[in-house]
Amino acid sequence: MAMLRRVARYLPSLVLLLVLLAVIPGGYPQWLAGYLVLFILQGYVAWLLFCKAGQQFYAYSATMTVGAYTTVVLEHYGIDHLVMEVVAGGVVAGVVAVAFFLSTSRARGFYAGIASFLLAILIPTVIQATTSVTGGQNGITVNGLNFTWGSTRYFVFIVVVVAAVVALLVWLSDTRVGRIFTLIADNEVLTEAAGIRTFNFKLLAYAIGGVVSGIGGGLYLNYFGSISSGDITVFTSVMIFFMPILGSRRSLYGPIIGACFLVLVPELFTSVEQYMDILMGTAYLVVMLFMQDGIVAGVANIIGRVRGTRRGGVCGGEKGFPAGDS
Amino acid sequence: MNMNMVLQSLISGVFIGGILALPVMGVALIYGVTGILNYSIAVIGTFGVFVSWTLVGHGLLVAVLGGIAVSFGLGFGLQQFIFNPLIERKGNDLTLFFIVTFGVATIVAGFTKVVFARPTISFQLPGTKFLTLEGVPINSQRLLAVCIAIGFLVLIWIFQKTTRTGRSLRATSQNLRMAKLVGVNVFLVYAVVSGIGVFLAFVGAFFWGALYNVTVSTGWDLTFYGYIIAIVGGIGNVWGGMLAAIVMGEVIAFAGNTVGGSWQSVVVYAVLFLILVVAPRGLLGSERSI
Repeated sequence: MAMLRRVARYLPSLVLLLVLLAVIPGGYPQWLAGYLVLFILQGYVAWLLFCKAGQQFYAYSATMTVGAYTTVVLEHYGIDHLVMEVVAGGVVAGVVAVAFFLSTSRARGFYAGIASFLLAILIPTVIQATTSVTGGQNGITVNGLNFTWGSTRYFVFIVVVVAAVVALLVWLSDTRVGRIFTLIADNEVLTEAAGIRTFNFKLLAYAIGGVVSGIGGGLYLNYFGSISSGDITVFTSVMIFFMPILGSRRSLYGPIIGACFLVLVPELFTSVEQYMDILMGTAYLVVMLFMQDGIVAGVANIIGRVRGTRRGGVCGGEKGFPAGDS
Repeated sequence: MNMNMVLQSLISGVFIGGILALPVMGVALIYGVTGILNYSIAVIGTFGVFVSWTLVGHGLLVAVLGGIAVSFGLGFGLQQFIFNPLIERKGNDLTLFFIVTFGVATIVAGFTKVVFARPTISFQLPGTKFLTLEGVPINSQRLLAVCIAIGFLVLIWIFQKTTRTGRSLRATSQNLRMAKLVGVNVFLVYAVVSGIGVFLAFVGAFFWGALYNVTVSTGWDLTFYGYIIAIVGGIGNVWGGMLAAIVMGEVIAFAGNTVGGSWQSVVVYAVLFLILVVAPRGLLGSERSI
């Protein structure tokens, strides 16, 4: 039973692999599935940093952009190994995340949050200003893996990579490191008093989050074959931050559900594009007013009430999960 | 950079800071009393400006009063009917209110796009003159904007010192439990403060429209500027917000006259970031009172 429960925690990765079925229809469904999976990866970065480690970090777009543009720069310098470029982009994004943490480690709560918000705004403005290198608002194109490998092969590649990374993050959450992240999110002072060097673990969280987000940025660039300063903005950061919260902070499926909601709804309702802001804003309000623990937890509660039982935790998620607010 | 340009930048910076100070004061005021960060005030204020622009044909006074009524009304109504019940149930959960107020802002921005066909508006205030100070031309509208910003700060200070409602505001921000015990209707206070905060954002956006153009994204720009500057000043601290706004106005003006172009924004945001690195609790520190 315990073994089954342990395996069940990796179900989100298996669910992600189901997305591979989009290969069957191909075309737009496959493209949309790939686009969704790229953002699910970012959603899990937000899950790790905010929900798991309780860090007020909103600069996911910044690390994603750094990863993407590092890939561009390396390719333009003639390094002709796209997978290595993507990994290098992740490493550089990790360095940026760590540097950010080190420079703002004295800030607490929303001061740290606003500093990360500033980073999310600053990076695109730097991209826009350095037109000669980055192409600025006009953008820059690369001969991405999506074109050199073919769209189906690249789609399978990113789904497998994202599923593997998600499994890794879930595994991490079960290790001592993951449990310490939870303790830090719950009560950092008490954790420090227990003799745990919380600074080191927070640094680790930022490093892992930055690397994964940067790799996601490189994969994103290869998917589209081009990028500009207007593609990944502070609004992208906000959307990524919302994913695990709207999905459910307390569930391992939270980022998947949140990403499905935030990415698919605008894509599928393009016929009412002029009303999209009103629809999405209303959706945020409805979820937060009536399902404050997120969609997964809200639906589970409804099912529980229908069955006549109250359920605490949700499908493979941790019970008594700290909210992650400071 | 010669002395004339330095003087020009200094004066220009004060004017820009004066306009930015208005949404910043709104943010600081609302947080200082309610303890929540309302990300929708500048977007609602911009909606109010679009309403004013629609009413301009009936006279400037009617337009301004219409915008004020809409802005204050929306701010008051949202606080009273959506945010207050949430505060009662969930307390001042920052993440919850980030998403809820962001959702409200998204709805209002979407509504603005749908209702007002014209995406870009601007105002021509009557009686624009150019004064000079040491050879530097000064636009009278900008001077008026700064005077109004300072005037509102003084008015708010007088309001909370001398009026019953103002004392209720201070009591609520200093000790919520005691304020409730002595009979202060704290949720009404929250709603009033929210209305005032949105009104301040409206005035800021209005002058932005008079000096530059206003689009739907102006609301978001003022939102980001408003929050960032309010927090750099020390969240909840109205004086800190004002100081930070003036500092940022100067940075914007000097950056515009030195580096210019796209690098102006880079310098501005980099300076804001550096301030938070050096002073992690803001310039004057956080204060949950006004």
